[in-house]
Amino acid sequence: MSKFIVWLRAYQGWFGAAGGLCVAGGLYLGLVTSPPDAYQGEVVRIMYLHVPLAQTSLFAYATLFICSLWYLWKRDPVIDNAAHAAAGIGVFFTAAALVTGSIWAKPTWNTWWTWDPRLVSFTVLLLILIGYLMLRMFIDEPERQARFAAILAIVGGIDLPIVKFSVEWWRTLHQPLSISPRGISYAGAMLIPLAVMAVGISLLFVYMLMVRTQMLYLKQLLEAKKGRLLSRAHL
Amino acid sequence: MKGLYFRWVVVITVVLIIGWLADQHYEREVRPITPEVLLLNRPVGTVRVIGLVEAGSLTTTPPASPGGSLLADFELVGERARVAVHYDGPVDDNLRELKTLVVIGHLAPDGRRFEGHEFDLLPNYGFITAAYLLAFIPLGLFVFGMERRVALLYTMIKDTTVYQPEANIVE
Amino acid sequence: MRFFSAIGWIVWKDLLSELRSRESLSSMLFFALAVILIFSFSFSTDEEAVRQLIAGIMWVAFGFTAMIGLGKSFAIELQHDCLEALQINPVPKGAIYLGKLLANLLFIVSVELLLLPLFVIFFNLDILAKLPVLLVIMVSGTLGLSALGTLFSALTVQIRAREVMLPILLLPMAVPVFIGAVEATRGVLGGEPFGFYRPWIDLLLVFDVIFVVVSYWVIEFVLDA
Repeated sequence: MSKFIVWLRAYQGWFGAAGGLCVAGGLYLGLVTSPPDAYQGEVVRIMYLHVPLAQTSLFAYATLFICSLWYLWKRDPVIDNAAHAAAGIGVFFTAAALVTGSIWAKPTWNTWWTWDPRLVSFTVLLLILIGYLMLRMFIDEPERQARFAAILAIVGGIDLPIVKFSVEWWRTLHQPLSISPRGISYAGAMLIPLAVMAVGISLLFVYMLMVRTQMLYLKQLLEAKKGRLLSRAHL
Repeated sequence: MKGLYFRWVVVITVVLIIGWLADQHYEREVRPITPEVLLLNRPVGTVRVIGLVEAGSLTTTPPASPGGSLLADFELVGERARVAVHYDGPVDDNLRELKTLVVIGHLAPDGRRFEGHEFDLLPNYGFITAAYLLAFIPLGLFVFGMERRVALLYTMIKDTTVYQPEANIVE
Repeated sequence: MRFFSAIGWIVWKDLLSELRSRESLSSMLFFALAVILIFSFSFSTDEEAVRQLIAGIMWVAFGFTAMIGLGKSFAIELQHDCLEALQINPVPKGAIYLGKLLANLLFIVSVELLLLPLFVIFFNLDILAKLPVLLVIMVSGTLGLSALGTLFSALTVQIRAREVMLPILLLPMAVPVFIGAVEATRGVLGGEPFGFYRPWIDLLLVFDVIFVVVSYWVIEFVLDA
């Protein structure tokens, strides 16, 4: 059992508890005690959920990118498990960010979807992550799976800023007429629940990453113990 | 495993408590009542009433000086009742005929007219509820599934032994 | 000089095998032809719609062409253990990548050139004066698709569901190529002054440079034996 995995098991509880407390506190502050927005009314409460989710999904891709680089350098299989875990969780957070963003858009912009640069960039991010997971699903040998997936993640990481830039540029040319920026009055009382939720969801992400890395590692370890992995070199 | 289930019962309880608190907040601060309920129950203090501004019933007196208050009289129509409203408060672009509004104020002492001092838009809590539920329920299921899988894997690894070839098949 | 002669040999090998079997070129050509026909049925009666959408239609057809061509690029190496031969060959792997890239570029651009007259005929375009700039856009856009596509073709050649994985991986990453190419083509065909759509061509060229370099660095991990 890798020492890193033992360490993860020991400390995951702290991150989970801290994340849970922050999210609970943030939910209370956001839903019960914070004031509604002057322009948007009550619906601004969705912001307390949507913005942290979007930030965390970018955080997840950054983790994936760094772990992929590290894997290609050191070839440590536990790091590969961490990268795989980050991708799975990233898909979840990106999809949740898109769904909550769409639900927020309906009462504020009166449309479920719009070609806003950030929405398009997040959709491309989601598709790249799904492609990554599908690639891993279709390659059977663990070493090649890890190597190819790392390459895909790195190329995707270089591509994402270019996608964001080009879509932004494209939208400034074809400015839609009736979309106004999400006007929010940003009262001070609204920044506190937002900050608490952001911290809480990031901590939850770290916790989920720790749990999922263990899950993937243990699955491989179990396969090895049962003799199904022909070589134990990757462990 | 027991620890896992216990932990999740605590989490769900906390979430339900917060949900209940949020619902209480909604009932107290946000939810408007219809004119019918207003006339029936005659609540005291500040209430919020929702209804449609009837076409042809709106008369306004612009403020005497900038920053002064707008005076307006109109009929607020609900599904089964209507109430005459006298508004005395800040200028608000939302006050138009055939628009559904929430008027914040109190019932006049005669119990027939409503004196409003502020407007608000339709509350759209449906969106908020949908967003939070759609985000948190899958999150909970996802994390619970992962933790349960990890706990099972740990027990399975402890129980499985590494494949050992037959030892000492000696004549 | 082994590096450059290796590139030349790979291009020559692919060219020869393609000229003998014509399998890749014909499937690319006929697929794109079907796409153009369907679009012309849908839009030919509406002049206004055609003018607005022609750039997009062109690049949908070119994109499908590229997908098919890129998929076949490494797939032809699967027969007779050619892929293993490439992997153990002492030639630098970057040279293999560049050779495949050039071969792909050649094939896809030649099919696109064959499709251009069809566009002129079916959609009544007037492109004679604009041909040079149009060619630049076509080549840089196709280079962008091929740079990533050749890498992903090497990545997906030995996995299950190979044919569907290449578009799934390539299309999200190629969004800037499609945006730049469609906007630049729209500018050319719409008769705008060069300065207006030149930034899009710059975007395409920057994308090409970045991803040829990145793929060149990364290909050795893919073609590792």
